[in-house]
Amino acid sequence: MFRILYIEDEKEIGQWVTKDLTERGYEVTWLESGEEVDQHIASKDIAILDVMLPGLDGFSIGKRIKRENKEIPILMLSARTAVEDKIEGLNFADDYLTKPFHPDELVARVEVLLRRYQKNDDVLDLQHLKIFTKEMRIMNTQTDEEVQLTGKQFYLFQYFVRHLNQILTKEQLYEGVWGESYIEGDKTLMVHIRYLREKIEIDPAKPTIIETIRGIGYRVKL
Amino acid sequence: MKFFRSLLAKYMLIIFLAISIVQLSYFAIAAFVFGIGKTDFSSEVLRESEIEEKWHAEAKSIKIITEETITQRFEDWQKQYPKASMFWVSEDGTLLTKVNVEEQIPSKWTPAYTTKFIKERYGGDPFTVIAFLGDDESNGFIVFEMPKELFKPPLVNVYEKYGAIILLGVISIILFFIVVSFLFFRGIRKRLLHLQEAMEIRDVDGLPIETKVKKKDEIGQLEQSFNRMVCELRESKNREQQEEQLRRELIANLSHDLRTPLTKIRAQSFSLSKEELSEEGQQAIKAMEISIVNIDALIENLMSYTLLMASKYKFEQKEINVIRFVREQMTTWYPVFEKEGFEIDIEVHPFEKNEWQVDPIWLGRIFDNLFQNVLRHANSGKYIGVETESTEHYDAFIIKDHGNGMKNESNAKGAGIGLSIVDIMVKGMDLDWDIESSESGTKIKIKHYK
Repeated sequence: MFRILYIEDEKEIGQWVTKDLTERGYEVTWLESGEEVDQHIASKDIAILDVMLPGLDGFSIGKRIKRENKEIPILMLSARTAVEDKIEGLNFADDYLTKPFHPDELVARVEVLLRRYQKNDDVLDLQHLKIFTKEMRIMNTQTDEEVQLTGKQFYLFQYFVRHLNQILTKEQLYEGVWGESYIEGDKTLMVHIRYLREKIEIDPAKPTIIETIRGIGYRVKL
Repeated sequence: MKFFRSLLAKYMLIIFLAISIVQLSYFAIAAFVFGIGKTDFSSEVLRESEIEEKWHAEAKSIKIITEETITQRFEDWQKQYPKASMFWVSEDGTLLTKVNVEEQIPSKWTPAYTTKFIKERYGGDPFTVIAFLGDDESNGFIVFEMPKELFKPPLVNVYEKYGAIILLGVISIILFFIVVSFLFFRGIRKRLLHLQEAMEIRDVDGLPIETKVKKKDEIGQLEQSFNRMVCELRESKNREQQEEQLRRELIANLSHDLRTPLTKIRAQSFSLSKEELSEEGQQAIKAMEISIVNIDALIENLMSYTLLMASKYKFEQKEINVIRFVREQMTTWYPVFEKEGFEIDIEVHPFEKNEWQVDPIWLGRIFDNLFQNVLRHANSGKYIGVETESTEHYDAFIIKDHGNGMKNESNAKGAGIGLSIVDIMVKGMDLDWDIESSESGTKIKIKHYK
């Protein structure tokens, strides 16, 4: 069970989010101001912060949390939508969601962050694959065999798993995995995707795990 | 005291000096001439009238008229005037005595010749004085001749002798004056140019930089005024920035304050949706959801529009790869269209030059607004197409839908402000756009001219 620290001064919104997240299986600690953050933060997996708070504002709280606990992802949840605010928030926070938000979107983003910070020690069931995300072990449930990936394939797949449900452009993938800037027309990525598909897809000619999003890139959807 | 620091005072000084130098040089020349006249030219400083008088007196004073005495007198004269020549013609026209005469004169003077001689010599060269010897005409006359050039005024002699030096002196004085004037005006010009350059230089904040005031003359005052202006400009810019900041804050706060209750409405509607609801109730919740999303977009657009109209919307141009940018933009919109069951057709191919000079936030906003419109007003077509087009004159992104077209717009009227923002932003980044809309769909082109 993931533990969420949630700071929100608006009671109605706070109650609603706490209730919804609790129903979805998270353990939520809801504070109305940033005063007691220090007592709670160490035991939490993720922090969701409002910006406009009485006393210390969300940006200051977030920066302090990041300074002391680098391993805790922070999601800013604010009704402040100005570009300047988003930029300031994203300077330290991992995500910035604006109000009014849909709770499904909030949960999706929380999940993405937990996965990115590898808080998620769950086993992912991805079609016929069972993925142990901590050690990035992949089991093929059809054959009951472990899928062995070579260096770049491994990193590529890991990148997809960390960004589940997100569409990734060729540039993002290449730069994320190879750490170099992508040159238009480079076939390296395509070749590696093909190898990867050969190892994990049931029918590599009709891939279902690594989706091709025509004109944009690829996506692995849970 | 101020006057003496002014350029005017300096210029007056130069003029005054120049005039003084001219005057002084006259004095100098005069002194020079007289100085020389007293020493070298004493014997030759001659006056015609003086000689004439003396000669007449001489002629009158001779009482014993013999050839010896006349010759004696002539020789005396000659000592005094070495270049002079003299002769005596007797009453009957005989040439009796001559001293130092080089010209051809007859030994017998007829009245005609005498008349001709007098006529020729009157006012001519050599200077000639004719005087009757003794008290009356009975002894004939004596003639004194001397070359005219010996009578020239002393200055002429000085010019002839020292002309080159004087000319050189005059030229050098004129040259000196020209050089001093030139230096004076060059100094002024240099400082004016320097000031002009200082006025052209801009600081990082786009304001001119203050210049150093070195002198307290008119240009110095000009520089001071300029500095004062820069100061005022900076203050007013600061004030403007503060106002801008306040305005942004106000709008951001307003937007925040509007969104908070909107979030509460969503919280309630979401809680309601969890309840057991009739078909009608579920419909109402759905409609509410849509309204919440629309109001959210409207608030955003209204805020942006207000800021844009007041030119307070942050704008930072930089070179970005637009192909990449649009692809990344699509990654967030793809799932939205996917969820709505749209057919998504993306044909984004690199241009010859993918780098455009744009503000990525603005460009993102343009695409967001256009996609939002497709989602809300062209939902019936269930189609979104994004493609690139390259022609001779421009590169362009095309966004297509199969909705009912702009004229048969769906009941929502929010498209107007969204497109106004697109229009301002497109033009603000020196791009262009056009809309082709018919009943079978709308095609929007964002063009970048080559």
